[in-house]
Amino acid sequence: MTTSDDSKFAFPKMDRREFLSTTAAMTVVAGVSMPQLAFGADKVVKIGFLAPLTGDVAAWGKPGYDGCLIWADWVNAAGGVKVGGDAYKVEFVAYDNEYDPAKARAGATKLIKEDGVKFVMMLGGDTWPGVEKIAAKEGMLFSTLLPSDLTPETKTLLAPCEVHPIYNVTGVEWMAEQFPDLKKAVICAQDDALGKPSVATYLAAFEAAGIDVVDDPLFFDPATTDFAPVMTKLLASKPDILCLDTCYADYVHPLCEQAFQQGFKGKIISCTMDFYQKVIEKTSQEFMEGVIFQFPDFDDPALNDAKVNFQKPNEFYAEYAKRYGESEWGAVSWEYASIMDLWADGASKAGSVEPGDVLEAMKAGGKGKHAFGTADWWGTELFGIDNALVGDWPVVVIEGGKAKIKGFKSIPAWWAKHSDLMVKHFKALGQMYNQR
Amino acid sequence: MPERSIRLGQVLAFIALMAGLVLLPHVLSYSQQEVLVFLVINVLVVVSYRLLTLTGEWSLGHVVMVGVGAYASALFTKKLGVPVPLSMLCGAVTAAAVAFVLSFPLFRMKGFYFLIGSFAAGEIIRLIWKRFTDPFGGPKGIKRIPGFPDIEFGALSIDFFEPVNYYYFCVIVVGLALLILYRIERSRIGLTFHAIHWQDKLAESVSVDTFRYRMLAFVIASFFAGLGGALFAHYVGTVNPKLFDVEQMVYVLIWAIVGGTTTFYGPIMGVVALTIINEIVLRSLGVDEMRPMFYGAILILSVLFLPTGLESIASKVKAWFAGSSRDKTATG
Repeated sequence: MTTSDDSKFAFPKMDRREFLSTTAAMTVVAGVSMPQLAFGADKVVKIGFLAPLTGDVAAWGKPGYDGCLIWADWVNAAGGVKVGGDAYKVEFVAYDNEYDPAKARAGATKLIKEDGVKFVMMLGGDTWPGVEKIAAKEGMLFSTLLPSDLTPETKTLLAPCEVHPIYNVTGVEWMAEQFPDLKKAVICAQDDALGKPSVATYLAAFEAAGIDVVDDPLFFDPATTDFAPVMTKLLASKPDILCLDTCYADYVHPLCEQAFQQGFKGKIISCTMDFYQKVIEKTSQEFMEGVIFQFPDFDDPALNDAKVNFQKPNEFYAEYAKRYGESEWGAVSWEYASIMDLWADGASKAGSVEPGDVLEAMKAGGKGKHAFGTADWWGTELFGIDNALVGDWPVVVIEGGKAKIKGFKSIPAWWAKHSDLMVKHFKALGQMYNQR
Repeated sequence: MPERSIRLGQVLAFIALMAGLVLLPHVLSYSQQEVLVFLVINVLVVVSYRLLTLTGEWSLGHVVMVGVGAYASALFTKKLGVPVPLSMLCGAVTAAAVAFVLSFPLFRMKGFYFLIGSFAAGEIIRLIWKRFTDPFGGPKGIKRIPGFPDIEFGALSIDFFEPVNYYYFCVIVVGLALLILYRIERSRIGLTFHAIHWQDKLAESVSVDTFRYRMLAFVIASFFAGLGGALFAHYVGTVNPKLFDVEQMVYVLIWAIVGGTTTFYGPIMGVVALTIINEIVLRSLGVDEMRPMFYGAILILSVLFLPTGLESIASKVKAWFAGSSRDKTATG
């Protein structure tokens, strides 16, 4: 038997420290210099995911990326996206922009110039201005979850899934129909780019529903960690309705806890209630019973309705829960995946994966297959451009500790009746596209 | 003879550094060039911060001063139509002027109280940006800030939206700023800053007006921080209050602590090393979501094993070279 020491092919003697340092250096060098491996001989289209994966806003990036990975696995297992005569496998390339416009700029250049992506999905908001010029220069197709990024100049930016915060009108409309005795509301929001347009929307929706907002909206600093005084102030006017606007999960949870501890007995309405099981654990099932928000769990049977375009929603939820845990399901878990459905449909129609062709195909005919049904490309009056896809949106209520869809309400129908109110409140808070 | 060889060595090192700075962007990828631009700006931010620490005061408002420069420069350009190069200077001057005004309440405090006071002052400024949508843009900040104008020389066209071109511009501006900061530290004023740090009572006893010198350090540091902010604003094209919050300040503190603040180059080593690890190495390894954990681990390890910062490595290398050259002289 030959040992490594007496073999003529033996490695030179190396002590433990040398071995560790060499291995570490090799790992780093390999990681830095090795190109990403592509799928065998199949055609591959790369899609950029430029959103916060770490930091305060990661809850609106990371679960979406996880959802995209399921989407890609399913689409690739089914043979890929059919484009022209070819089948393309989809590969996601993620870049954590930490919700920082400078990092978003670096990420966008990497995705476009180095990774060769054909479409970039973003959360948007504070990060979009760092990318806007690159998007225009490169003619790259981008999507945002926040249509407040849209302006007449953002021609290659689409809001094809979530027309935040306009869909919040559906929750208020449903609540006013079901609980006509609730007449006094208070609103709070973090003082930032997400909070303000959402407050304007809720103010319009409450006014349309004949609900009084009894105090000025309370804007708290995003650095707030103690929500006891915020809630005390809100509850001082004894409201029937506590509106949590579009607060981040890190604020919604302590706000609900405080409302519970300070004995609030009315109705809570919120844009999101991400990881609501954790809120129930911190408060009680009874307290959270009847809370209204806008983002369903995708195991809801109501999503099997024929008009819903999202592919296999219940199976998607089950797979998500299996991979990442049921409590990790959040508002955006399905959204980026649903945008990919639209993109794939557009690419198939265009017979091309090139950004300009796909954009044209997606917007052709003025209608698109939104996750919750066929919807219209809309937005000129609020955003200066028809790049937001608007149709029906679900109203979700917690019942027995579980989110349940209570119905779908039409955003365009609400808009047709109350657009003047929305424009009025958007203007008052400086949220119109020509004021931003 | 040894002195001449040391000087020759310094000249060669300087030439090598310049050549390295010129060639560096060409061996990097496009996105790494973007990171490089921000790195150069951050070098100015952290070195200007060190100037303030020379007087013994650690501020939590330095990043807000970066923001003052960024906001002011953006507003001078957008609202008053001031040309970008001039508005950058105006932004820096505005940051210095704000620091001058803040000096009066802040330097009534020292040590921990100054630290808290500077944080409060910074938060007041940030809240003003958020509260007054006109002109500061509120929580969304200011968008579509004009970039540095392109230069056209006949057939030669320099587009400063391109990271390589803006990098060279930043290297020149930051290089000049570092030279000035270095000369200040080596001057009588710099020595007085050190004296105030270590023996402020003794300095006062020999007629040094410690308030004025602390104010001077704060104003100069804020001027260069503001210049860094202006460079940032006209490159990224947007500023908002969140970009200058205490979280960003913690990064500046980490760069300074990991690099060390005893020497001029210590904080530079800190910001360069940590930026490379965070933005290049960890991203390349595809561990985006775990970067904060790695970053934290690196910080803890560096504090445990390099308590005086990365600069101590450079000092050891220098001492080793000095030792070997002494040995050669002795044996020769």
